[in-house]
Amino acid sequence: MRRRQLLALSGLAALAAACGDEGSPNDVQLQFMYWGSTFEQKAVEKMLKSFEDSHAGAKVKALFTPDEYDVKLNTLVASGNVPDVGYVPMAMSYRLAEQGKLVNLFPYLTKYPQLAGYLSDAYLWYGRDQLHGVATANEIELLWYSKSAIKDAGIAPPPAEAGKAWTWDQLVSNAYRLTIDQNGKHPDESGFDPKQVRQFGISSSITYAAAWYGFLRSNGADFADEGGTRCLLDAPEAIEVFQNLQDLIYKHRVAPGPGQLAATGDDVPGTNILLKTKRVAMVVDGHWSLLDMNESKVDYGIGVLPKYDKPFTTSQVAGASAVFAGSKHVEKAVELFAFHLDPRYVDLYKLGLWMPQERKYYEDQAAIDSWTKNDSHPPEFRTAVVDYARDHGVPDLRVRLKNLQAINSDVLTPALQEIETGKRPAAEVLKEAAPKITSRMQGWHHKQKV
Amino acid sequence: MALNGQRRLERRWGWLMAVPAILGFVIFTAGPMVASLVLSLTDWQIGGTPAFVGAGNYTELADDELFWKSLSATTYYTLGAVPVALIVAFAVAMLLNQKVRGLPVWRTIFYLPTLVPAIANVVLWIWIFNPDFGLLNSLLRQGGLPAGMWIYDENMAVPSLIVMSTWGFGNTMVIFLAGLQGVPQHLYEAVSVDGGGPWHRFRHVTVPMMTPTIFYNLVVGVIGTFQVFNQAYVMTEGGPNNATLFYVYYLFRKAFRESEMGYASALAWVLFMIIVLVTFLLFRNARRWVYYEMAGAR
Repeated sequence: MRRRQLLALSGLAALAAACGDEGSPNDVQLQFMYWGSTFEQKAVEKMLKSFEDSHAGAKVKALFTPDEYDVKLNTLVASGNVPDVGYVPMAMSYRLAEQGKLVNLFPYLTKYPQLAGYLSDAYLWYGRDQLHGVATANEIELLWYSKSAIKDAGIAPPPAEAGKAWTWDQLVSNAYRLTIDQNGKHPDESGFDPKQVRQFGISSSITYAAAWYGFLRSNGADFADEGGTRCLLDAPEAIEVFQNLQDLIYKHRVAPGPGQLAATGDDVPGTNILLKTKRVAMVVDGHWSLLDMNESKVDYGIGVLPKYDKPFTTSQVAGASAVFAGSKHVEKAVELFAFHLDPRYVDLYKLGLWMPQERKYYEDQAAIDSWTKNDSHPPEFRTAVVDYARDHGVPDLRVRLKNLQAINSDVLTPALQEIETGKRPAAEVLKEAAPKITSRMQGWHHKQKV
Repeated sequence: MALNGQRRLERRWGWLMAVPAILGFVIFTAGPMVASLVLSLTDWQIGGTPAFVGAGNYTELADDELFWKSLSATTYYTLGAVPVALIVAFAVAMLLNQKVRGLPVWRTIFYLPTLVPAIANVVLWIWIFNPDFGLLNSLLRQGGLPAGMWIYDENMAVPSLIVMSTWGFGNTMVIFLAGLQGVPQHLYEAVSVDGGGPWHRFRHVTVPMMTPTIFYNLVVGVIGTFQVFNQAYVMTEGGPNNATLFYVYYLFRKAFRESEMGYASALAWVLFMIIVLVTFLLFRNARRWVYYEMAGAR
């Protein structure tokens, strides 16, 4: 045989082999793209492994992307190399859905009935009967605290029941007790040095909307009017909420200002580290912190947020999970999608990273126990998280408001930064920002019953 | 004229050797430039289909508050960073041009910051600027001076970044140093013969003879600082309140976060035109103050 013929033959053989592989059910290769902390990475990889174990012939490649998720996903979309299943920041997910880049999951709700029993705010609709995904988990905002800091200050810990939530004034006065400078002085004592604070009483973000949206609603204010076309941040009740947040830093001096917690730039240490080192005694942060709290063995407690009038917390504080339309194995990808959100198979709920989206996990005692009766969920979890989320959760703006990304980067974030730096009172800043936000508003996203 | 074998060979190999560079330029620079010019005339979001909008993006720019904000923040940075870097680099180059002991060591020390990778440099300065436990405020407090909020303060952010940029003056300094060593000794001797002191030598020999080098560093500095990005990206994310929303960072945000590729392309072309225009004006103006020893050798 001549060399050229031999080459041609071997080429054909390789081609045949490749085709054979393609047809074999043993070779469904899926990609799952996600973000998260290092502890989270381990947990998600374990979940993907258990999918592989229970679905013969399916292989899942994990694309862990802790930083610049939107930038990287955008690049993958531009080059046509999207993963099969993954997290999608909600700022992008609605756009990608409208562009046809995400699979409409509505037809699959009958095949996977567990997906049909979700909390209604979990569904991400982009039109009638058009469902591009769900919020990956039902996360809410909580008041985390260091038990020993509370004990040292000799105060009662933040209540774990919504009905007994602290008022804002109670929060402030307790934060005074918890704020200590290098000489052991509190902010209301003479000689207190605000530049040398050893332990801050409270940290509650001004620039992160999920952290203050519950306060806003609790004070009878809201971000937008009913039509979702007019911004209401210039209302007196809204201004009060932001002025109070600014006052925590500059008037009461019980909260860190910009840069005061950061070791490097915006990389503020995680809530677990802040509480463990007692740099801060109480932190407003999401439920997902539970995993890192347990992993780093923090002596923490969970309280509900302080209230103005009715107690509220922001819920559905998560990214979207979705199936990408470019997937070669859409059916298998949807199967992975349904699997990765199912507390029956996935231990991310028991580990404390996620809260389930299915309604029964908040209403049915056995179902509640199935994810909360374990070592990673402290005794107060039932009232401070399960009941709190069910009865006092108000869904995050990201699952509801259109054009939020442009609103955020063009107007809202700069305005909130101005409040955070303390140069001007909240009223001035918000009265300027509200009309600019209004001009960028495009209404609410579509909502419907399943 | 018929070429002989040798020259034909050289011609062919010459082209061949140049091909990688030419291909690199065409594929990675010229091609994308043409593509972005076309894209700048469209409304294109990543994942969607481009729609032709003519000059729409460019007219939209005129009404875009953040475009003007980013342009002014960048101009502010350029106007501060370039002169400061020129003066500091020139002064240090003068010092390092003296005959002192351990000269190579001094030169190395002053050049070292330039070798620090960009992100490591930025992280270091984040610490230096930290209001609570940063180097700068610690020193100020020890000296009994008021501490600042630096990059966390809207008014201080750009000046802080200008100070930081000065740190990496090594390359500019080396070029000045080379220029200084090319100043003919006989001119200095002539000044001395006429009874001139160090100031006269500096004013009437060093500065005029160095104008081409100053001019070169000025142009390179302006072009470079207009494209400032790292600091906004890593340190400030454009904040606080858009104080450091540098042009290229805004462009990046539009392109890769908001995926407005058409608009971002228009931003890129406007910046390109601004840099071309500024460079052109600098060259026009240079005729008045830049002295070339060999007239017409430009």
